[in-house]
Amino acid sequence: MKGYEVEEFVGLANYKQVISDTMFVKTLWNTVQYVIWSLALGFVFPIIVAVALNELVHSRSTFRFCTYFPAVLPGMAVSLLWYLMYYPDQGGLLNMIGSWFGLEPYSWLQDSKNTIMLIVVSMTWTGCGSTAIYYFASLQGVSRELYEAAIIDGAGFLKRFFTVTLPHISGIALLFLVRQIIGVFSVMEQPMQMTDGGPNGASNTLGLMAYKYGFVSIKPQLAMAVGVIMFLILMVFTLFYFYLDKKIEQD
Amino acid sequence: MRNMDKGILTNSDMKKKKYKILYAAIFIVMLVYCLISVLPVVWIMLSGFKDVKEMYAVPATFLPKKIDLSKLARVWSELKFYKYYGNTFIMAIGCVVFNIVVSGLAGYVLSRLKPKGTKVLLAMIFWIMLIPGTMSTVPLYMEFKSMPIIGVNLLETYWPVWLMSAANAFNIILFKNSFDGISNSLVEAAWIDGASNIIIFFKIVIPLSMPVFIVVATFTFNGSIGNFFWPYLTISAKEKMVLGVQLYKMKSSTYTIDYQMLALLFSVIPQVVIFAIFQRQIMGGVNIGGVKG
Repeated sequence: MKGYEVEEFVGLANYKQVISDTMFVKTLWNTVQYVIWSLALGFVFPIIVAVALNELVHSRSTFRFCTYFPAVLPGMAVSLLWYLMYYPDQGGLLNMIGSWFGLEPYSWLQDSKNTIMLIVVSMTWTGCGSTAIYYFASLQGVSRELYEAAIIDGAGFLKRFFTVTLPHISGIALLFLVRQIIGVFSVMEQPMQMTDGGPNGASNTLGLMAYKYGFVSIKPQLAMAVGVIMFLILMVFTLFYFYLDKKIEQD
Repeated sequence: MRNMDKGILTNSDMKKKKYKILYAAIFIVMLVYCLISVLPVVWIMLSGFKDVKEMYAVPATFLPKKIDLSKLARVWSELKFYKYYGNTFIMAIGCVVFNIVVSGLAGYVLSRLKPKGTKVLLAMIFWIMLIPGTMSTVPLYMEFKSMPIIGVNLLETYWPVWLMSAANAFNIILFKNSFDGISNSLVEAAWIDGASNIIIFFKIVIPLSMPVFIVVATFTFNGSIGNFFWPYLTISAKEKMVLGVQLYKMKSSTYTIDYQMLALLFSVIPQVVIFAIFQRQIMGGVNIGGVKG
């Protein structure tokens, strides 16, 4: 196939071309916005769910089933599901609920101000459950003696949470934080499936940009340049992740 | 009141009124959260039965006027979903077989046989995990287009997906760690009885590590059914299309919204059934996989 064979050494020309593309800076910023939104929506939430799950003794298995349920759905199904929920007219769930309150249909994903946030909502919806189950597994291991000691000291619910529970899960919370940054930074499938990067590049990401270079406009050399740029940025986080991982294992 | 043995709240707390209220509040919050988790799928399930006219009726209703099961059958055969189910299962089962055989044996080699250079191999496997998918997409595609050494074109087959599933660094490490825990005396006893390495693997290592195998198999199967990107990239023939890709194609086609909803419903059924059956293994796998997931 044309373009997939090495013809000549061009030095850094491909990188220059990628970075000087007018869309590059915007796309990089978009990708960072994905990470920010996903941390804002999806980092603390699973911890709250796990703690709540751990407190409840009634119908616990039903709650666990429901919590994990979105995580087992295939990625494309989740994207289509939320695409349909965000449908810009009354056929979508959100506009249907809106119509009960007399609201005009809102063009959810097509409003470029909110597209990234709305895609991240769907990612959080499906990702929260499995993360929460990990936290839940960790919460099951908190030693009773620590709680009892805290109770003897007269600590209330919040005090017990902050002095006993939170320190116990802070290790894996840190790992999940870094994992989330790494994972979301290379996001590609969800924007591709829901909006194809649109409207007007508003939800484009570096991963999707690389895919389009490689397989839509058949310039694989640029796709690989974007890939290497992403790799270098992620490398910092990954090394940090391994450092944390080792440190937590030692404790 | 059942025993509150794991949570922050204790049985004696629950005698106090303020903690009773707190408990009730947590219960309600979780109830809402579970509704949000399940409701969208229920909505799809019900809306698929509406026809397009009913969807745009004023006022809009959540429940369809009637549940017409023949519509389900009609859409199923009209969209030829049985074909995509078959393809997806072939792809997913292949992924499980390749993953278990290759990662399992690799884990065994690294854990038990330890040939020269094991440490270097392990380090390399760790580093492979670091390479983001985006960076390897194009080189991998070129490899599948013309496999090095044998020069075969693997596009339009499931081999790319199978091979990528076989080379799963995380599962190799998972298997290695679990094999490390098997007592040496058992292996040595078999060794003295004249068993070969392969027999030891099948007769001793696999039976003793069954939980890990089951977890890896269910996770891989569940994950592979949802495969989208690589099947999309490598397979364009309609006869070999899998569920995820077909859904994507439907989204940008002229199919009406109710057809898309029913197709979506069909595509989630296998995973929901697997989850319902293997719930214990999938949830338990979280513990086996450890913090690193």
